[in-house]
Amino acid sequence: MLQNGWDTFEIGTILRPFEGSISDASAILPEDRLYSQSNSFSVSVADWRIEKPLFNKDLCIDCQFCWIYCPDMSIISRDKKMVAVDYDHCKGCGICVQVCPTTPKALLMFPEQKDEEEALLEWPKKEKKEKEN
Amino acid sequence: MLEIRWHSRAGQGAVTGAKGLAEVVASTGKDVQAFAFYGSAKRGAAMTAYNRFDDKVILNHEKFMQPDYVLVIDPALVYATDITANEKENTVYIITTHLSTLELIASQPKLMGKKVFTVDCIKISQETIGKAIPNTPMLGALMKISRMYDIEFFTENMFKVLKKLPQKIIDANMIAIERAYNEVK
Amino acid sequence: MADIFELRDIEVWDGNMAASHALRQAQVDVVAAYPITPSTPIVENYASFMANGYIDGEFVMAESEHGAMSCCIGASAAGGRVATATSSQGFALMLETLYSASGMRLPIVLNVVNRAIGAPLNVNGDHSDMYMGRDSGWIQIDCYNPQDVYDMNLVAFRVCEDHGIRLPAMVHQDGFMTSHTAQRVKTLSDDVAYDFIGEFKPMNDMLDLDHPVTHGVQTEEDWHFEHKARQHHALMSAVLPKIQEAFDGLKALTGRQYNLVESYTMDDAEIAIVCMGTSVETAQEVSNELRAQGIKAGVVGIRVFRPFPLEQIADALKGCKAIATLDRSSPNGTVGALYNELAGALFNTSTHAVLTNYIYGLGGRDLTKSSIHTIYRDLQANAQAGSPTTPLQQFIGLRGPKLSFF
Repeated sequence: MLQNGWDTFEIGTILRPFEGSISDASAILPEDRLYSQSNSFSVSVADWRIEKPLFNKDLCIDCQFCWIYCPDMSIISRDKKMVAVDYDHCKGCGICVQVCPTTPKALLMFPEQKDEEEALLEWPKKEKKEKEN
Repeated sequence: MLEIRWHSRAGQGAVTGAKGLAEVVASTGKDVQAFAFYGSAKRGAAMTAYNRFDDKVILNHEKFMQPDYVLVIDPALVYATDITANEKENTVYIITTHLSTLELIASQPKLMGKKVFTVDCIKISQETIGKAIPNTPMLGALMKISRMYDIEFFTENMFKVLKKLPQKIIDANMIAIERAYNEVK
Repeated sequence: MADIFELRDIEVWDGNMAASHALRQAQVDVVAAYPITPSTPIVENYASFMANGYIDGEFVMAESEHGAMSCCIGASAAGGRVATATSSQGFALMLETLYSASGMRLPIVLNVVNRAIGAPLNVNGDHSDMYMGRDSGWIQIDCYNPQDVYDMNLVAFRVCEDHGIRLPAMVHQDGFMTSHTAQRVKTLSDDVAYDFIGEFKPMNDMLDLDHPVTHGVQTEEDWHFEHKARQHHALMSAVLPKIQEAFDGLKALTGRQYNLVESYTMDDAEIAIVCMGTSVETAQEVSNELRAQGIKAGVVGIRVFRPFPLEQIADALKGCKAIATLDRSSPNGTVGALYNELAGALFNTSTHAVLTNYIYGLGGRDLTKSSIHTIYRDLQANAQAGSPTTPLQQFIGLRGPKLSFF
């Protein structure tokens, strides 16, 4: 608040989500939209996380559960393919990991400071089904 | 007058910690205040909580404070917020981090030359209580650094404050307080 | 029978918890509520006391604040001890029914945790809702800390339910600054607190089936004026003596002294601040600092806002040379309400103090000791000059260019 001037706000305390005008925002990908500084898209909540979800592409079946359940629209999916986690807006709640149906999971929580490559090396391996008898 | 500012995220228990500390201090006959700044706070949002302790009746209700102690119970707030705001010359900082005190100061040069102590309350609470609720361990660290009360007296009284919680949780909190008391550097 | 709740002699409670325990000890028959920040914990705590067997009454979750107060009115007319809590927009939504409660002479206790009224939306403390209620016909008692909240709730039940009064009462506390600030509260045991309030004695209750009554009648020009005059008469003449009597009773019981008008170092004060809520205590601290420098400063806190203790306030300020009234509500088009009240209280008296007005703390903006020092410095200059050296109305603690009027 204090970094804004006392008279920054327009009459009626309105906020403008985009810089200037925009037509058919739904046809533009979020990263290409000209969000204004007062839009929450411009604010990172990365430092809320104590743990972060990491994504293992090899195990993902693109079921889109994480994309549906994420409360902060922080699962980036394109053409129904899981692409990545949006670490600017992910708060580390872990719901995506909870709903991930694969075994082992394609999304796992790691400490925020964990190195991604290291985590991928430590990832639980798929257990091979041994035929009985 | 002794004044304390807590830096926390909503949901980490700074308000509960401040109130618990106030209860212990009030039991020794001092006057106390425990309060917090809330915005339209949601879990995870950065927030501050405050304590005032005095032998005299506390009349001051201003929110402005020049704290004697700054307690930071979320590691990221050292970088994301101004934890040195309105500091005094002698303000003491106790900060939750997985870094050593030297590493922390190197990563946040604003803390250079200040009285900084570190303890990993997040790890301690995860390992003892089973959740990242770093409020009670921070109180253990505060007891060590401030020498406000000896740890036996403090845990005994904190036990009374927590008495409505399940026994397992109380025990875990007691261990967390003692661990932080021993581990703060 | 409700279980006894064992309390320590001194508890560390915030204002909300203090209110919840007072309601519990009053053994209210019906609490109908719709929660709103910052008053939510009052009814939340109350509901938990009930769930744990500490309360015998009914808890009604209403669909809105309008519905909550309507339930309270029905329950009170039926013949029960009734209380609830609200804040801000919720208070505004209750407003229509507040007039019904007072007009029907129903002794309901409403805890108002004072909060700003939007737009812009704001959950923090100012006195906009308290000021909105000032013509509603309710008794309005103001608290400065959690201990006050506890004590004033007990007083409110005792006063408003008296058959010579039969008017509803609001107990006000500052949102967050009192409601969410934990401080020491000296408690009474459950039976002592209950005895202080007294057994609820119904009057013309609808559940007295041997004496059927109709509540909520219509009157037009033939009778409306007389009923309103009688209501005003009761508020003006019976309430202050009854509150004083309750204060005396509380002092005898606890040693804690409350007054209709709270005066701090006013005996020989030349400059004084008049305000409400937590600001009264912060101003007191600043006044103490000034006294240490030999400056004759004092503070007058309004304890009872309605009925307005006009004569007592005029008396408290009679030796003053300069007075500042502090209003924590946007006056939107005139001077602050306290300025108006004080001007009215002092106008026909021999006190010819310079009277000025400060608007402060809207939406929870901090009232710092430094701001209060500034106000006292203005007052010293006014006292010396014998006339205003500043505009009559100033905004203090506001960012941007200085704003003042008149």
